[in-house]
Amino acid sequence: MASLLEDLRLVARGWRWTHRPLVPRSAERFLPAPDPKEFPTAWARTPLARAVREGVQRFVLRPLVWTETEPRVEGLDHLEGLRPPVMFVANHASHLDAPLVLCSLPRRWRERTATAAAADYFFDVLWRAAATALVFNAFPIERKGARRGTGTARRLIEERWNLLVFPEGTRSRDGWLQRFRLGPARLAVEYRLPVVPVAIRGAYAAMPRGRGWPRPGRLPVSVRYGPPLHPEEGEDARGLNARLLRALERLWDEDATSWWASLRREAEGKTPSLAGPPAARWRRVWEASRPLPRPRPRPVWEAGESTTRGGGEER
Amino acid sequence: MLALELFRSVPRYLAARAVGERLPGLLAGPLAPVRLVNRDEPLPPGEGWARVRPRLSGICGSDLATVAGRASFYFSPLVSMPFVPGHEVVGELHDDLDDLPAGTRVVLEPVLSCLARGLDPCPSCTAGRRDRCDRVTVGHVAPGLQTGYCADTGGGWGEVLVAHRSQLHPVPDHLPDERAVLVEPLACALHAVLRARPEPGATVLVVGAGTVGALCLLALREFTQAGRVLVVAKHGRQRELARRLGATDVVGTAEAVAALRRATGALRLTPERGLPFLLGGVDVALDCVGSRSSLDLALRTTRAGGRVVLAGMPESGVDLSPVWFRELEVVGAYAAATELTDGGPVREFDLALELAREAPLDGFVGAVYPLARWREALDHAFSAGRLGTLKVAFDPRRG
Amino acid sequence: MARPGFVLEVDERTPPLLVHEGEGFRLEKFPLGTRVVYPPDPLPPLRDVEGAIRRALLDPIDSEPLPALLRPGMRLTIAFDDISLPLPPMRRPDVRQRVIEQVLEMAARRGVDDVQLVVANSLHRRMTPAEIKRTVGERVFRSFWPEALRNFDAEDPKGLAYLGRTDKGEDVEIDRRAAESDLLVYVNINLVAMDGGVKSVPVGLGSYRSIRHHHTVHTMLHSRSYMDPENSALHHSCARMHRLVAQHVRIFQVETTLNNETFPTAFGFLNRREWEWSLADQAAYLAAKRANDAAPPRVRREVFRRIEAPYGVTGVHAGETEAVHRRTLANVHRQQLVEVDGQSDVLVVGLPYICPYNVNSIMNPVLVNCLGLGYFFNLYRGRPLVRRGGAMIVFHPTPWEFHQVHHPSYIDFFEEVLAETTDPAQVEAKFEQQYATDEWYRHLYRTSYAYHGVHPFYMWYWTAHAMEYLGDVIYVGADRRAVARMGFRTASTFADALEMATDTVGRSPSITYLHCPPLVMAEVR
Repeated sequence: MASLLEDLRLVARGWRWTHRPLVPRSAERFLPAPDPKEFPTAWARTPLARAVREGVQRFVLRPLVWTETEPRVEGLDHLEGLRPPVMFVANHASHLDAPLVLCSLPRRWRERTATAAAADYFFDVLWRAAATALVFNAFPIERKGARRGTGTARRLIEERWNLLVFPEGTRSRDGWLQRFRLGPARLAVEYRLPVVPVAIRGAYAAMPRGRGWPRPGRLPVSVRYGPPLHPEEGEDARGLNARLLRALERLWDEDATSWWASLRREAEGKTPSLAGPPAARWRRVWEASRPLPRPRPRPVWEAGESTTRGGGEER
Repeated sequence: MLALELFRSVPRYLAARAVGERLPGLLAGPLAPVRLVNRDEPLPPGEGWARVRPRLSGICGSDLATVAGRASFYFSPLVSMPFVPGHEVVGELHDDLDDLPAGTRVVLEPVLSCLARGLDPCPSCTAGRRDRCDRVTVGHVAPGLQTGYCADTGGGWGEVLVAHRSQLHPVPDHLPDERAVLVEPLACALHAVLRARPEPGATVLVVGAGTVGALCLLALREFTQAGRVLVVAKHGRQRELARRLGATDVVGTAEAVAALRRATGALRLTPERGLPFLLGGVDVALDCVGSRSSLDLALRTTRAGGRVVLAGMPESGVDLSPVWFRELEVVGAYAAATELTDGGPVREFDLALELAREAPLDGFVGAVYPLARWREALDHAFSAGRLGTLKVAFDPRRG
Repeated sequence: MARPGFVLEVDERTPPLLVHEGEGFRLEKFPLGTRVVYPPDPLPPLRDVEGAIRRALLDPIDSEPLPALLRPGMRLTIAFDDISLPLPPMRRPDVRQRVIEQVLEMAARRGVDDVQLVVANSLHRRMTPAEIKRTVGERVFRSFWPEALRNFDAEDPKGLAYLGRTDKGEDVEIDRRAAESDLLVYVNINLVAMDGGVKSVPVGLGSYRSIRHHHTVHTMLHSRSYMDPENSALHHSCARMHRLVAQHVRIFQVETTLNNETFPTAFGFLNRREWEWSLADQAAYLAAKRANDAAPPRVRREVFRRIEAPYGVTGVHAGETEAVHRRTLANVHRQQLVEVDGQSDVLVVGLPYICPYNVNSIMNPVLVNCLGLGYFFNLYRGRPLVRRGGAMIVFHPTPWEFHQVHHPSYIDFFEEVLAETTDPAQVEAKFEQQYATDEWYRHLYRTSYAYHGVHPFYMWYWTAHAMEYLGDVIYVGADRRAVARMGFRTASTFADALEMATDTVGRSPSITYLHCPPLVMAEVR
């Protein structure tokens, strides 16, 4: 027994159990390429985890988001006729974005959708990694450095999971669209995935970066799904990316005005850019954080006729 | 840009205070109020500012104290959260700046004084004592005594920071990054030594042989005529290094008082509680650790009328009785500045840049980590002494 | 891309390092500044071994394709390396089996009837039927055993053919059947750089009369090292013999090389660099160490004996022996060679539980010494890892224990010869002839499973270079009596050993630890 304790002490000290293990200085050059291991998330797609997730999303997340904000969901009919795997691509300005998309999707879509999340932030510490993986069915992606592999994403696509991706890579600081990274488009082209653009408006106003909770007052937000884009024969990632950006801008315009008006404007090449006004930072933020106009209160006799309020019912 | 950000977290602060001593591994783990984030690149706030891409930035004792929740609340209004730490920086200028073309390698003099803040110089700044600037909370950047404590400028632990021309010193080509990153701490050490002003032949005590202690020792030997220099060092490699850098005697922590008594021929008294102290003792003591026990040791072993220099950021709660009874002169030494010496005013950064070229600084930077491995880096820095490392640094270019 | 080997310098961040010691292992803290030589990571194995073998046989180096050498009515002999290779035995299927099967396949298709298979066991013990079956596979065994599949017998006067003398006057005598065949196919496993090549046929199928010319103290002292064939007198002699044999019989050499994947998953930590040990590895170490220490010696031996290495095949080459062997050596070096800068005062090695001569047997003190001062000491190219007059510290318990069936002459060698002298030259001059011609040993070698009477002498000669070169040899944790018999000293701990070594190397010696197995060979600059 004594020798076991001795060994235990030797190992505990040698490998710095109370600390982090370190690498001898002369061995640093020979470290294997930085830890290809990523946080394992396969468990989050087991039937049990899926059941738990469904419960959390349905009975916690959705009620929470839907009481703290006032989401309006449109365009789910575009999913008609699609089959997994598809890629949902949305603009990203708020922590509300992922819950909004996931909870507004019909159940059969939602439970087959995984979310790409930044490895350096969401998968940094264990509890956050586990929680993110469980609640959002998230998988880690590196947004920087040599490790930017898409191994997990590929595996997921091959296993027929839908992906929810924010190609901006990070939440916008001023509410306007940032440059799209090429990775998602590349994947879509490679696997010929249909890409469904999702425009989220008002989320920045409701819960901008830096806030831990939505602003009080049940601000309206809008989630609008657009018609899917199919990568075309011979189209490269850049082309698809540009098309995607245009589609998102048009969708945003549609949400702000109307479908018809947005089409007209698109034809005239006058779709407003999502890069925001080329003005001082305060004006950009000012513009972006302006709450969406509240949907006009509906006369009682119109109720039930449309799905605009609190939409996103299960199909 | 990717950066490590220090943010305000009351629970982590409380937890770190409560268990940090006993479970030091947690300080670099879940208790660290630090996170790796994608921040917006800081923008030059005015004329004379430019972006700098850090190539190496050191982890300083004061950074660790802040992470571990041991820094005094005195500093809380002097910083603006959340900030990117890191003030020992060698970097590359990203934009042209006055006389410096983009791409110039520079070291950062971190103090954010009137000049950088776009203010009319305060009396201290006028006198060239930027370290004593009174306006470190106003002007066109957020409060912050230094780059690396200010929310607007970014810091060395990020991919980009902004700096004012007055903060930048170009690095000569022959000075490698591993040495250049030591210029700031070396300048601070120089400052401490010049503040200590030991008489020729004086007996000097240096408590601690980490980066600050070693560099102070180096500066003592280079710029003063101190006689005996006694160094209190805890770990084997530190002792070896102290001897190499010219210490007369190197002693361990446990036998420090006894050794100092023998070296100075003082009387030794043992109080009913607490450390023994000396009547008589060294002429000048430099506390290069900044812990309660190190300052205590310095105060208790300095002769009456002697001088004690605080070279490291001190911890609160030290028994000041010897200061009163022995009429000690307690001198602070914060950052680097222009010091008046017998030969006229000198800019300590210039001296440090020169000294860094020849001084035996090889191997001082013992480990370089990418930002992504920040927990390892902090953990390493927390126990650097035991691991035989002096300076742990980040290389933010490696992500 | 497998990582190269490298030399670690022990610093404060270095965890304790794993040291093999016979049927066990331990973690040892090394003094700061110790250099540790780590082997390269296992090379990626060939994915299609069968295909590689086929290509090697159909497109050999400096030779016609194998099928072109086969014709009906010919005499074909296939010789293959015995139980001493590889170490530990490899997981089935053994690569020899895979090569032999393809050779036989081609022979069958070409209508060759007269085929014999011979274990090239030289003066080693005969292999048991079970061992042979494991090596060549069930199919081959069932088809040929026992009529046409046999052990080589170096003491069968009728079974040997004397082929003449080399220009240096060395007698060449090998297996008659092999010598009189139309084609001799030799199938080898080249684990370390000393194996194979010109050594295969003259030694593997050679008699004492022939082998005694190069297994001598003299050649050993002039082999610097015997792991480097170019600078090895032993290999030069073998080359002369090989060329003579090649004039009598067409030799078609098939050589295979393995990677460094030495230990199965359960002992995975033995394959890994310590600072990369995961928590699971650390737990596995603790559990294995604890279980191993607590187990009775019998159980422990049994557990180790059952280790099968998950070796991957890194190369198969066939054709003319010397041309093939150049490729083979390049492969071995790619897997094992590490550049080391300069020599040191002290060389530390931890000896594993196995050496070439105790597979399914017991590692007696003579074999321990041979593994340490012979094999491990000689794992260098250029200069030894330790300076002349330096000290070598060897971890091994070295129990006074012999296998009664396998090593009868070892017992007498240890009791009688070493009691009188440990000097290799004297041992050779005074006792070799006597043991080599002893009827009883000869009888046991031929009919039982004993090593030849002269074999312990060779083990002793193997260490001659190290003994002549080193200033001090200290065993850690060993049986004092056994080690003293061999003329060395014992320390109970590593710290004590270093303390004792100060006599020869002073107070602050430079230390090099050869982190092996997995196998590593130092190229010392």
